Amino acid sequence: MTSHLLARRSTVVGFVIVVVLATVALFASWLAPHDPTLVDPVRAFAGPSAKHWLGTDNLGRDLLSRLIYGARWSLGLVLVATCLIMSAGLAVGVAAGYVGGVVDDVLMRLVDTILSVPSLLLGLAIVGTLGPGIESLMIGLASIWWVSYARVVRGLVIALRERDFVDAARALGATDGRIVVRHILPGILPAIAVLASLEMGELVLAISGLSFLGLGAQPPTPEWGAMLNDGRSFFFTAPQLMLYPGLVISVAVLGFNLLGDGLRDALDPAEASPIKGVGS
Amino acid sequence: MKVRTSASALLVLLAAGACGSPAGDARAPRRLVVAAPGDGFGLGGDAELGLYPINTNIYEPLTRLSFDYRPEPMLATRWELLPPNTWRFHLRSGVRFHDGSPLTAEAVRWTMERMARRGSGSTGIAPGSTRAVDDSTVDITPVFSNRRLPEQLVHPVYSIMARGSDPARHPIGTGPFRFAEYRASSHITVTRFDGYWGDGSLLPGITFRFVPDPATRVLSLRARDVDIVAEFPREVSDPRVVRSPVSGYEVLNVTIHGRRPYDLGSDRAIRRAIAAAVDRVRIARDVWSGAADPTPTVVPAAMLGAFASRIRGVDHDPAAARAILDSAGWRVGADGIRERRGRRLRLTLVVGFPNPHIHRPMPELMQSALREIGIELHIAQVPDDAAYQARIRTGEGDLWAEAGGQNDANPCFLTHLLFYSGPRLRPSGYARLFAPGPSLDRFVDACRNAVTREDAERSAAEAERVLVDEEIIVIPLAATRRVWGLGDRVRGFDPHPSSLSQRWERVSLR
Amino acid sequence: MNTSAWLVRRLGGAVMVWLLISLLAFSLGTLAPGDPAQVMLLRRTGDPPAEAEVRQLRHELGLDRPFGERYVRWLSAAIGGDFGESYRSGQPVLGELRARFPATLALAVAALAVGLMIAVPLAVVSAAARDTLFDHVARFVALAGVSMPSYLLGYVLMLLFAVTLGLLPVSGAGGLRHLALPALTLGLGSAASVTRMLRGTLLDELGADYVRTARAKGLSGLRVLTRHALRNALNPVVTVSALRFGRLLGEAVIVETVFAWPGIGRWMIESINDRDYPAIQGFVLYIATVFIFVNAAADLSYRALDPRVRPGLPVSNPR
Repeated sequence: MTSHLLARRSTVVGFVIVVVLATVALFASWLAPHDPTLVDPVRAFAGPSAKHWLGTDNLGRDLLSRLIYGARWSLGLVLVATCLIMSAGLAVGVAAGYVGGVVDDVLMRLVDTILSVPSLLLGLAIVGTLGPGIESLMIGLASIWWVSYARVVRGLVIALRERDFVDAARALGATDGRIVVRHILPGILPAIAVLASLEMGELVLAISGLSFLGLGAQPPTPEWGAMLNDGRSFFFTAPQLMLYPGLVISVAVLGFNLLGDGLRDALDPAEASPIKGVGS
Repeated sequence: MKVRTSASALLVLLAAGACGSPAGDARAPRRLVVAAPGDGFGLGGDAELGLYPINTNIYEPLTRLSFDYRPEPMLATRWELLPPNTWRFHLRSGVRFHDGSPLTAEAVRWTMERMARRGSGSTGIAPGSTRAVDDSTVDITPVFSNRRLPEQLVHPVYSIMARGSDPARHPIGTGPFRFAEYRASSHITVTRFDGYWGDGSLLPGITFRFVPDPATRVLSLRARDVDIVAEFPREVSDPRVVRSPVSGYEVLNVTIHGRRPYDLGSDRAIRRAIAAAVDRVRIARDVWSGAADPTPTVVPAAMLGAFASRIRGVDHDPAAARAILDSAGWRVGADGIRERRGRRLRLTLVVGFPNPHIHRPMPELMQSALREIGIELHIAQVPDDAAYQARIRTGEGDLWAEAGGQNDANPCFLTHLLFYSGPRLRPSGYARLFAPGPSLDRFVDACRNAVTREDAERSAAEAERVLVDEEIIVIPLAATRRVWGLGDRVRGFDPHPSSLSQRWERVSLR
Repeated sequence: MNTSAWLVRRLGGAVMVWLLISLLAFSLGTLAPGDPAQVMLLRRTGDPPAEAEVRQLRHELGLDRPFGERYVRWLSAAIGGDFGESYRSGQPVLGELRARFPATLALAVAALAVGLMIAVPLAVVSAAARDTLFDHVARFVALAGVSMPSYLLGYVLMLLFAVTLGLLPVSGAGGLRHLALPALTLGLGSAASVTRMLRGTLLDELGADYVRTARAKGLSGLRVLTRHALRNALNPVVTVSALRFGRLLGEAVIVETVFAWPGIGRWMIESINDRDYPAIQGFVLYIATVFIFVNAAADLSYRALDPRVRPGLPVSNPR
């Protein structure tokens, strides 16, 4: 499979983008030349210079540093959200798929309920009511985005549980828990990885969208979506305030999409059909 | 075939778009187009079209707010106080509503009763307070002693409506414009009322469009889609911007009756040091982008008449601030923040009234200004006014950022609302945190009981002097102005300090 | 499973989902921080209200009743068409929603149309000229389009078409001219994703036997492509477009605000900003009702058209 992955140049590009951004996020405090929240209105809207490679924003803060720390914030939020989402999705999907029966019915009704309203709108309603802020953002996103994971996991678990090796394991006296952990989960992992990669791109867009509306990260937090929001009023006088974060967001999502596409195609395409990412 | 049809469809769409152009080449006289942020509706609960927050001049109140914050005759030509507490208003004759019916005392009574049912705020007008003496005379007796009623009635919420009209669907008033059309979330249109009692409008009508995004409003002006933009974003520099006279304030209130850890504000030395660290000139320039004056009053200086100069404010002097803190025993620690007896000099600034965005970037500026004198400032942002009020009740803050506008002519209102500790109708969470006591209360009482305007102004100025100079409970940051964008064809637009009292009938298009 | 049994099961499921989402919608009001009575009084008078007043209003509004009772009361009213009154305007929430939904619908449909009008020719040429420079560029542009936040484009288009060229109005409600820019902004994202998908399915079709047969018979490549392959390739695209609709509604929220388009998305944002909880609750329930109904109808028609389709297939994924 690795050779499949490496064969596609675009997948490699996506992988590189993601790794670079992750590195930037991890080492932000070493990489950023300035404090991203240091305000200096005298030097507002400065153009690129030796001191400020990308110039400054409306409050004189260094744009490059804000973008760098923005990686930490935006990607960090995506990571946290994905962990929450994946745990919930796995739990529900395995429970529904493995146990089946009434549990499956009930859980799938729950899934249908959440899917009955377009996710962006429901997310907006939840985050909006909880009030702006990062905690509400995480709660809101986690309570909605787990459903696609749950569905995929459920489908795969159902397929896997009928397989011979599961019967064999059971015949040998393995408990359900052991079967799930040692036999079923490893079978699901590749699909989960694909889904995660594609969904992360969507999450970046969702988080930046909510922050753009003022509901996510609050100023002066250097999150990319919040930076877009800050730059809104200055679109004609200083378009770079919106252009830079917009560009970075697009590149990040692009990276995730390329990686996800490549991963999905590397797995046998026939098996991968339930894993239609939303952006495709 | 699919390819061809879709391509031609696209071409048709673009062609349709290219034909005709936006308002640019219309022939005069045409209606004025104003871009405003939103519908707003009344002050919660009862929809009233065309009244608030953008005043479309469908309605008029009994008295109007002059440019220098005095009540002027509007639908009432004169008024007098009949002791002990009854105000008699004499109505202007020859005034008609848009439906042709005459303005009578009965219409005034009906309007006041409707308003009283919803809660009339600080006027004291309750159901039954208003009485029609005869067709052109109205008596209003508030439920508590209120010497400032005519100054309060200038606010558009007290506009006189035709008896039995439905303000939510079909507003009928006496103003120079009559209601024409309302489309929810889109626009409200008014047309010239030819039976107006005064000088009628120069234009045939006005369309107020609701454009929530500030960047879009700016672009609309540039593209000549609209003629006037209300609430032009103050950060955008544009040659066509005009600013109203001073109409509002941004201040920091300091908690003086706090419980640990919010008790540092009880020390006047600390309050003085904070005030000395504030650079109002810089705030006017960097926070308000020139849409504010560095004046140290809370209510607009015009409202205090000749007495505004009694308020000096604390001068910007970081060296003096440091000296004050030094002599109070606060030693600078290793990280630059002062300590005394093991306690860090750390303050919390609560930002959120009326919303957190209006203050940006003041909190960050305050943070660095206070850091320079050795105070650590923690910024607590609350999302809206309700959350802010909740926090006021629990008292969890040292400094409270507030911004507001002055929309009536009552100089005593703000000081009474926030800082008065005497007997009042409703207990105030503000007073618990901020009220200094009798030194202020006597001036608020004097203001509220003043018979002449001059007495009221003097007492209000003295009250502010106590708050700003003596006790330093209020630290004024900026005296704010409203920002409008004007297209190059607009003539005769004079921005009123209170945009709620903006008049449109003298506006024309070249 | 015979049709009537399937019908009962399907509709019963829909009703249960509707009830669950109504519970979620109602809970939003309770999740919210702050006290609605407090907010209303504050807005009404401008002064911070007294405790006694707040308590009285809470009692009047029925806010001091237990959750279950309030939910049932709200739900039974909602079934009867009464979604409560907006805190901001005092007008019935359902009326406000119905006044604005057509505008959003028009925008979403126009965006889908624009998306298709751009995507179809682009995908066809891309598939026909596979692996040429055009194809690579088109694929990259499509991928970029899917990765970019849609609202960014809004300001750029505004600046270009309205301010600089003066061809179209900047914002506001109106006919085709006012719809053009917001539909274009929203539709470009749609176009990008449809292009990607259509190119994929077209290429799949082009590898199929019937295509090779047709070409062997001497039909030109383009003819085969547009006459036969396209028709088949469009099928899943149509399905996906229907699915994309929900996503378009979500993105429409921002586009409506930026372009001052009088739809429900923008109204929702304003309700959130003003803490208008009845409006938010009503909005969620309204959208859910529309989608559940449409999905059930779609399922029904699928079933009617092709009884072999197994019930429970995930056609109802509005994301």
